[in-house]
Parts: sequence; C-alpha cells; structure tokens
Amino acid sequence: MSENLLEIKGLKKYFPIKKGIFSKTVGYVKAVDDIDLTIKKGETLGLVGESGCGKTTVGRSLLRLIEPTGGNIVYNGKDITNISHDELKAYRKKMQIIFQDPYSSLNPRITVGGMLNEILKFHEIAEGEAAEKRVAELLERVGLRKIYARRYPHEFSGGQRQRIGIARALSVEPELIVCDEPVSALDVSIQSQVINLLLDLQKEYGLTYLFISHDLSVVEYISNRVAVMYLGKIVEIADTAELYKFQKHPYTQALLSAVPVPDPKNKSKRVILTGDVPSPAKVPSGCYFHPRCPKVFGDCSNIHPVLAPADGHRVRCLLYPESYPGTQKVA
Amino acid sequence: MAENTTETVQIEEEKSKKVSTSIFKKRWKKFKTLKRGYISFLAIVFLYIFSFIIPLFFGRDALMVKYNDNYYFPIFKFRLASELGQNIQGEANYRLLKQQYKQEDKGNWVLMPFYPYGPNENLLDELGEGNNPPTKPDFTHWAGTDNRGRDVFVRLLYGFRIGLSFSLVVTAFSYLIAIIIGAICGYFGGKVDIIIQRFIEIWSTLPFLYVIIIVSSILQPNFFLLIIILTMFGWIGMTYYIRGEFLREKARDYVSAAVSMGASNRKIMFRHILPNSLTPLISYAPFTIVANIFSLVSLDFLGFGLPPPTPSWGELMGQGLEGIDNWWLIVTPLLAMFGTLLSITFIGEAIREAFDPKVYSRLK
Repeated sequence: MSENLLEIKGLKKYFPIKKGIFSKTVGYVKAVDDIDLTIKKGETLGLVGESGCGKTTVGRSLLRLIEPTGGNIVYNGKDITNISHDELKAYRKKMQIIFQDPYSSLNPRITVGGMLNEILKFHEIAEGEAAEKRVAELLERVGLRKIYARRYPHEFSGGQRQRIGIARALSVEPELIVCDEPVSALDVSIQSQVINLLLDLQKEYGLTYLFISHDLSVVEYISNRVAVMYLGKIVEIADTAELYKFQKHPYTQALLSAVPVPDPKNKSKRVILTGDVPSPAKVPSGCYFHPRCPKVFGDCSNIHPVLAPADGHRVRCLLYPESYPGTQKVA
Repeated sequence: MAENTTETVQIEEEKSKKVSTSIFKKRWKKFKTLKRGYISFLAIVFLYIFSFIIPLFFGRDALMVKYNDNYYFPIFKFRLASELGQNIQGEANYRLLKQQYKQEDKGNWVLMPFYPYGPNENLLDELGEGNNPPTKPDFTHWAGTDNRGRDVFVRLLYGFRIGLSFSLVVTAFSYLIAIIIGAICGYFGGKVDIIIQRFIEIWSTLPFLYVIIIVSSILQPNFFLLIIILTMFGWIGMTYYIRGEFLREKARDYVSAAVSMGASNRKIMFRHILPNSLTPLISYAPFTIVANIFSLVSLDFLGFGLPPPTPSWGELMGQGLEGIDNWWLIVTPLLAMFGTLLSITFIGEAIREAFDPKVYSRLK
C-alpha cells in the first residue's frame, strides 16, 4: 500500500479563451490549476467536487486524452507527460478509463466482441480463437453472458453497457483504472451492482482506482482516501474515514453536510453556501473559495493559501496557520 | 440483483432466436417497407443493370447469322459485309441482310435483336420515300428519329446508361474527396481546419459553368475530362457535412476510449468515426446523383458536354430547340429524364426516412 503508482506534480490545464478575427487569446479557463496528487498501488483515491471543478479534466489528462498545459505525470517512476505516441502505447495497457456516459462510450457500429477482439489484437494479447475465449472470459467476469459478444451496443441497457465499458478497460489487464463518474448515469439499484463489481475486480486483480465522482456516499463506500477539488484546485485530502468524520476546510464541511442521510429524525446542521461557483475564467483573488466561505476573514481575499498538512489531513485554508505560504515544512 | 431476475426473460429471448442486427440492417429493413422508394430503387437498379446488356435487345448487330452452313455471332465479333454475301462496303447491315436472305431463300437466316436499331446508326436509306429526318414516332421507331436519321428510342436508352454511369462516378469521386478533406478538417481541427476551410471558400467561388466553357473551348471534352471537372466542383458541399459530423463525433467518449487504447489517428478516423458519420452522405447521395445527371444533360444541351455522336438526352433536347414542330425530340428525353430523376428522388426520400438518426441511436 505504500508504493506510489502514480504521481501528479503541478498538473495544469488551461483552456484559452479566444476572441476576434485573429483568435487572440484574451484569457484562460483554468480547469486544472496546479494539482499535486499521489496514488498508491492498490488503493482507491476518490476525487470529489461540484460540476465544473476540473475532476474529469484531471482524469483525462492522466491518460493524455487531454494534453496538459503544465506539470508532470509520473507513472511508476517514469515521466509520461511528454513521451511520444509510440512510447505511450505501453502505458495505454497499464492505465485505462471507464467513462461516465454508457451511451456515448461505445461505438454503435461495432459489436461488443468486435471491439474487444480488436483491442486484444492491437495490444498483441490474444488473437483468433484465444481472443474469442478471452472475450468470453471478460464478459462473464463483468457479469454478462458470452453470447452478448455478437450484439451491438444499442441492444443493451445502461447498466449492461457500463459493464461492457468495464470489460473494455479490463481487456488490456491494466494496473490503474480512472473511473470517471462510472455510476452517475445509472439507476441507483444498478449503481450498487457496478460498484460491487469494481470492488471485486480490485480485490481479484489488485487494481488501483482513481474514482471521480460527485456522489459523496459512493465515494465514501469505495475509496481509501478522498481528495476534494474546488475551482481546479485541491482543497483537502484525507483518509476516507477521517474526512467523513472531521472536515477541516469549510468547503468540505458544506459539501458533506449536503449528503442526504436516510434518517428522518437526523437534524444535522446544513451549511448552505451562498452564491454560485465563480467562473474558472475569472477566479477570485486570494483563496478561491473566499466569496462563498462562511468563515471568511481579512486575509482570505489577499493571501493565496497552500495545501499543507494539518492533523493527518492536507488542507488549503488560512484557518490553519500551516496554510500560509512560506510557513509550511517541506512535505 | 435486478439483472438476474430478468435472466429468464433473457433466456426466452434467446430461444426465440433473436438475431443481433446492426443499425444498417435495421435501416435497410425499414427502407424496404417504404414501398415507393423501394420499388423505385429496384426499378433503377434493374434498368441500370439491364442497360449493360442493351445490345442483346436493342441494337443493330444480329445476334446470330446462318450463312452457307456456317453460324456467325456478329454481336460479339465485327463482320465485313462481304463475309456474309452482302454487296456493300465495310460492316454488314444486318437488317438489309435479313431481307436479302429472305429474297434469296437459300436457307440462310439472320436473328435480329428485338428492336434492331443502333444508337449511332444513320437510317437515312431506310426511312422510305418522302420521309426526311427527323421523322415522327411510329411502330418501327417508337420515339421517331432525330435530325440525322438516328433512332431516338435507342438513343434514349443508351443516354440513360451513359448519364447514370457518369453521375455515379462523379458522385463517388466527389464524395471520396469530401470524406478525406472533411475528415481531416473535422478531426484535426484548429489551424489545419482554418487553412483548408479558407482554401475551400476560395475554390467554391470559381464559376463552374465558365470553367467548363473555357476548358471545352481549349480541349475537346470527353467522358473522363468531364468527370474530372465535375468532381473538382462537386466535392465541396459534402465536405461541410462530413466535417460537421467529425467535429461532433470526435467529442464522443467512444473516440476517447479508442484514443486511450492507443489507436492511431487514421484508425480512429476511418474505422470508428467514419461509419458513424455516413448518414448525411447516404441521405444526400441520391440527390447528388440527380444533380449530376442534370448537370450532364444541361452541358450536353448547351453543347459543352460529351462529344458527338455520344447518345445523350441533352443533345436531343438541343435538337428539339431547332424546330419546335419536332415535339418528340423534346418530349421523349424530358419524359425519360423526368422518370429517372423522379425515381431517384423517391429513393432519396425513402433513404432519408429510413436513415433518420433519431430512431436507432440514443446518441443524439
């Protein structure tokens, strides 16, 4: 559990805003702004945050589906941020992704078996009869019947499609799977099946997950550690049990107080945030969260906090003296 | 588990031998139910295939000749008149030969096609006394003859073959170019897209008709030159649609999935995105075919089309313009064109309905 499988150092993704006839860049949307994360072998790191905070951009940057603007992605000690297409092929086998929308993530023109066969052939895993056998194994492993290999995606339900998406990710025998909101498009009853499938697979193959979600209960169930993002930055990271008990950052507190509890007598205090998430193109000065923060004070609008360790958490908030820039110890 | 409870349903489903069908097969089934389009499709396909064996039914060459105990098959091999005992220069005239054998009554015979006139054959000698071409339709010449004494009906049939072949080739080539350029623009986007789009805009302002007239006045246009010219101007419209389809499809997750598997750009473009981008192409193809037939007819009419004596509808109409009394020279090619274009438009309509993307894909 201690070995770092993936290290993200200062990952940035800025989307330019262009205007005028000559497409002059007038500003940037800072979708992901200087993120540091490490994912240990065999763990599940949950990544939560509200819509538009950059969770998906982080996940896709890892696989270079989006080319990052800056920073480094180090996989097993090897920097893969700038390696060529050919070199990347080896890492494509080790890192895979499960998409959010099971409807658009499968090519409607290719049968399930055809798609899996093609991947097995391309990565020289199996060919011919061996490939057929492997496809059948994969489908049965994710809880589908092997005869489904002959079917087209439009003949499946959402849950079945998501299982096919999982089978596709598994087909190359990866070490790390980025789960980009894999259950948020599914019915609640199907969600639990898919999550249990993911947990079973993790146990069986020793997989590592980066689990991106906005559903905090799902994240609590599946993750070992949780990172909370706000406006392209990580505001708090802690072990799951710790984070769900004590939240240090006011944003995390607000976020978790919004989780519905299935108990009508439970009258826990809701932290209601005012205002909307600011546009990532025009971020506030100082702490990004200060215009909405219930515990805002003088320094918040001037000083930009850093992510610093505090009582087992790592938190980015000026309520904790460690977060003042320049004061933190070298992490 | 919810999916397990439906297990029995699934087994029953398999018992009923539900064959998995691709979207294309479903659309084809739907197309078949649209009678007007389907019948037009069968008719056009039949006529087009038939047009390649026209000489067996409509032509000047005898199918079979028996002469002095030898059998000849002139339809496959050129025969001199002297070989068959006919006293004229050059190639044998089988209609006259038939009459000659009948008069001689020596047991020789000629088997003519059902309608024994060729498209480029001058019938001045056979029209009879006092009949100067063009002659009116009658039982021998169903659509009369044109001003050079050629049979109009046979010329219409050959005109159909040439017109449709021409149009199919132009459509195929221009769509091929459109796919390649549209795919590059849509898939790569950015600077590549901007540069190619500006080039297309400049190219599309070239006046098509003037270019044809200029080229025709320098070079004698032939079938292939006209195909090249029409293709050069025909690809632009479809490029926009293919580009748009690619722009939309490349943002879908299945493309990201292919990228994350390490597939090459070419493979993603042509194996993954292209099959999902063909709807506008297939829907527009019949209308493009119609437009190309129309272009050829117009060019022939204006005299910038295929060189004489190629049988052509436009050229016949051009002749009709010279003397409005010769109504059959205008009416028959117009009817032929009307029938063909209408059938192809019916096909297009049915395809458009059958390929309605909203029906079988939940993507949109």
